[in-house]
Amino acid sequence: MNFNQRVYTVLFLSILLIGSAYGAAEPGGNGDATRDMQCGGACHGDAALNETSLATLTLSSPSTVYAGIPTTLTLTATNLSLSSTGVVGFFLLTDTTGHSDTPQDAGWEILSDSNGGSANYVEQTLSSGQAETSVSWVVRSSNEGFTPFYAAIHHGGSSKPFFAVTSTGYDVEAKEIPENLPRLAADFIPQSTRILDVPTVLTLQTEFTESVQVQWKVEGGAVMSAQVNTSGDNMWSATLPAALQPATLQWRAVLQGEGPDQTTPWFTLTAEEAGWEIEEFAVYLQAFSLLFLIAGAVLALQSRLTPREVSSKYDQTDLLPLSLDADPAIESVTEGLSEESETAPLPAGGLPNGWNEDQWKWYGHDYLAGKYGGGQE
Amino acid sequence: MISPETFHVVSTELVVGAFSVSGLSFLFCLLLHLDVLKKEDWKPLFDNVAHFTLAFGLAATPFAVLSGLSSAPGDGLNSPILVNKMFLSMTGMGFAIGVFISRWRLSQRVWATSKTATVQCITGLAACGSMLLTASAGGTFLRGESLIDVLSLPYETVLLFPTAISGIGLAIGIGLLVLGWLRMNAASSVH
Repeated sequence: MNFNQRVYTVLFLSILLIGSAYGAAEPGGNGDATRDMQCGGACHGDAALNETSLATLTLSSPSTVYAGIPTTLTLTATNLSLSSTGVVGFFLLTDTTGHSDTPQDAGWEILSDSNGGSANYVEQTLSSGQAETSVSWVVRSSNEGFTPFYAAIHHGGSSKPFFAVTSTGYDVEAKEIPENLPRLAADFIPQSTRILDVPTVLTLQTEFTESVQVQWKVEGGAVMSAQVNTSGDNMWSATLPAALQPATLQWRAVLQGEGPDQTTPWFTLTAEEAGWEIEEFAVYLQAFSLLFLIAGAVLALQSRLTPREVSSKYDQTDLLPLSLDADPAIESVTEGLSEESETAPLPAGGLPNGWNEDQWKWYGHDYLAGKYGGGQE
Repeated sequence: MISPETFHVVSTELVVGAFSVSGLSFLFCLLLHLDVLKKEDWKPLFDNVAHFTLAFGLAATPFAVLSGLSSAPGDGLNSPILVNKMFLSMTGMGFAIGVFISRWRLSQRVWATSKTATVQCITGLAACGSMLLTASAGGTFLRGESLIDVLSLPYETVLLFPTAISGIGLAIGIGLLVLGWLRMNAASSVH
């Protein structure tokens, strides 16, 4: 490799290395998921590339939170200045160490997020010029006591990634639950998705509850009531109308009993198209058909195009020299063979006693040379 | 005991790595046999590398396919991307098997004419391309993005033939395979 080639190689590798820092960014977002704050710092390549976001983040919650009962944490973000895509991601965290900092790590369960999932990191796509938004999480603590919550934001803008996290924790105290408080069962997990064109029957398990009302709303719509039936002790079912297109709906339950009335948080329910189905036998048959058809076609084509070679394992002509005359060694061998192959002259008395012609042909020379009794019998 | 997901990742990396090297070597073989590159002593080198890595990738492919099916979320083929992955991987295997058997049975005679050399190299490249597309579809399925997304390939669309057509195709394929094998045996230099 000469000097110029080395220079070009170094330049090429340098361009690749420089490009990787920006190429590793994910301007289209990274999707909702359970993520540590470390992701917010590093998911866009080198964390050192992050600029500080000027957004203002504010967390809020109901005044009273009970351990074991779902509650809503709302994050309001203002003063947003986003990239042209309008994609912004929000984190709900319980510390800012960068690892093991999700609510789940602190004993809080995320039952629902505002996108219809159950992730601590959710993304939104805002319209151009929109400088304010809010996201919410329905969470449930398994333990009593204080927990500091933090919020973080991650977005693009001015060809750079931006990141910010709240500097102080928002303390939420989970109190001991009163004995007779009407409430959802401790192990209740809200349904998060449903299929299009089919009415949804919600099944609720409650405790210390004598009656239930279920309310629902779509974005920007009025609050509606659903029909609720009881199917046993503290078991309720509510029917929500079918969704005609993929969209989210929010619902909540108002629980009444001996204790004070309780209203659950708004749970998000996302309508999706029915699962995709296909006849698996037809797929496997077509897959194997493709395999054999292509392999067979290649073999048939190659066997047709390849020039045929007439060969035999008995044919050893390729071992012989091109011209026998040209090889003196072969010539001398053949001459020798010619001399030895001549039959020895018969003695005066004819064939020795007991010899036949065939024996004389092969061993006559030896007889005359005396190898059989000095040449004379 | 490792999970099917981990096993799928391992086997997929083996397949993609092997087929990538094989594809690159077939490209060099093509350039060498078309005299675009004039390096006679490189021919056996790339010939050996291309076919050895192809054989290695081919051996790892069934493990990747089976572990992929068992590690996919949900039951069975519940996404058009998974179906297209299946078709692409089987297509790649078909090309690879054709190339491998041709080289095995015909030995050096696959390079005897520019036609056979071109067919051998193009088919090897097709095997490599099919496998890389399969891996790309896997990235789209798992992460929603892939390097080949710039091509806007219709992974969400499945071209599924009627069962009868697939059955006929299978029969023709087996017939061609047997016919090609017999013709190669008749002309083979391997006794």
